[in-house]
Amino acid sequence: MRVVIVEDNALLREGIVALLRERDVDVVAQAEDGPGLLRILAGHKPDLAIVDVRLAPSFTDEGLRAAIEARRRHPGLAVLILSQYVEPVYTAELLAEGEGGVGYLLKERVGDVRAFIDALERVAAGGTALDREVVAQLVEARRGGDGGALEALTPREREVLELMAEGRTNAAIARKMVVRPGAVEKHISSIFSKLDLPASDDDHRRVLAVLTFLQSGG
Amino acid sequence: MALSLHAAFTVLLDALLTVVWAATGGGSFWPIWVWFGTAIPVAVHALVFDAVRRPRERHKALIVHAQATGLLVGIYIVIWALAGFGYFWPAWPTFALVAALGAHWIVAHRERLPQARERELVERVDELTRTRRGALDVQAAELRRIERDLHDGAQARLVSLTMLMGRAEERLDDRPEVAELVRRAREEASAAIGELRDLARGIAPPVLADRGLQAAVEALARRSLTPVTVEARIERRPPPVVETAAYFVAAESLTNVAKHGGGAAAHVTIEGDAERVVVEVTDDGPGGADPGGSGLTGLRHRVEALDGTLTVTSAPGATRVRAELPCGS
Repeated sequence: MRVVIVEDNALLREGIVALLRERDVDVVAQAEDGPGLLRILAGHKPDLAIVDVRLAPSFTDEGLRAAIEARRRHPGLAVLILSQYVEPVYTAELLAEGEGGVGYLLKERVGDVRAFIDALERVAAGGTALDREVVAQLVEARRGGDGGALEALTPREREVLELMAEGRTNAAIARKMVVRPGAVEKHISSIFSKLDLPASDDDHRRVLAVLTFLQSGG
Repeated sequence: MALSLHAAFTVLLDALLTVVWAATGGGSFWPIWVWFGTAIPVAVHALVFDAVRRPRERHKALIVHAQATGLLVGIYIVIWALAGFGYFWPAWPTFALVAALGAHWIVAHRERLPQARERELVERVDELTRTRRGALDVQAAELRRIERDLHDGAQARLVSLTMLMGRAEERLDDRPEVAELVRRAREEASAAIGELRDLARGIAPPVLADRGLQAAVEALARRSLTPVTVEARIERRPPPVVETAAYFVAAESLTNVAKHGGGAAAHVTIEGDAERVVVEVTDDGPGGADPGGSGLTGLRHRVEALDGTLTVTSAPGATRVRAELPCGS
């Protein structure tokens, strides 16, 4: 897997690079700001870009804007946003643009190396990896709110939905919840019918559909 | 002109009578009483003439009063002298006249004193308003700096720490009990990061600093447990201190709607121009908002510190929290 990293804090950039190299992830280029991302993308054609949200010069959401622009310019580019805070609005914007894998994780998740590498692989393969914090905020937002369809979900189904939004496969969800894969499939089709979403075989599109629903309700 | 004629006529009359006195054989010099008696109208005439001609100035009445007092005292003294000196009785009327003049002076100046005092107070209030505003701007800037320092400093170091511990954990496959300790240490560090994140969010949520008031309130609305609609017209970005206060008015009000509104719908309107920002949150819940409650009191303090006003009206089906914040340019 060929990866580029955009992070303005040298300590963190070097930490992530060292950690990835130990796991044989090929870090082909590094940059410190938004324009830097677009520059290294053109030269290196990576599978995945890891991008910090806050970057020079404005130190607001430069990284996010650069990532959105990068996805527009390089269709199919997988982007994993790493940030010290989650903002569901930013997730929605990221998902709204283009195709290809998308991830949004809190930086401290990197410390759980195995889960982080899993997330990288999932995103590079076109899947999603949304921080459980993002999912929690989104689901919390809808809960008990506009009398929406989410209220109709059972706690079990909600749990499945959260795991789906994190980007986990049916098998992974079954392992996590300690149930048979068949039970997960049943929950998922029940969720789809309750949320009035057409079923699809594709994990990624499935999660996107769920997230789009979650974000468009407000 | 009239005054000169009057004076000339008086001098002529006095001279004539003096001649009459001389022609009638002298004796007691009675013309001096005539002189005195005719001089008084001339003096009064001169005084009135001066009072009429004097331009309108601050203490015209007081000056005329002083001149009249001087004239009267002069007359008394002349009478006393003409009457052959003796006991100095003019002291008494002089005393009374000067007392009246003094009273007049005090009345005239009491009016002026508060004006000077008032001007002084207005200047002081201006200065205090300016410096308080300055202090608040500095405070807002300081808080955002602290938030940034946390982000780039302590938080980043803790994140770096979790990465290092994660790498250590990876190398401890053969010593699971040590790996478990490292994992727990990493989780503690993650919890600390989470707490710092909540702290930073309490100063100002990232989306507010990044995108401004409208985006931040829309994010609140999206996260809210109740249906919220947002309508914003913001001509230009207000100063951070005003922006943050406006944000917390919306945030606290929406939290209240979610907590006590029984699922009621809320509506937020924000209007901002160069002069002020007005935030209004209305809901159709059961009402009963307590303006003296700790949440609303905190908001009131925040708003009033910026010379803004917070009004809360609450009735079944219509609760309204409205904050008006001057931008203090």
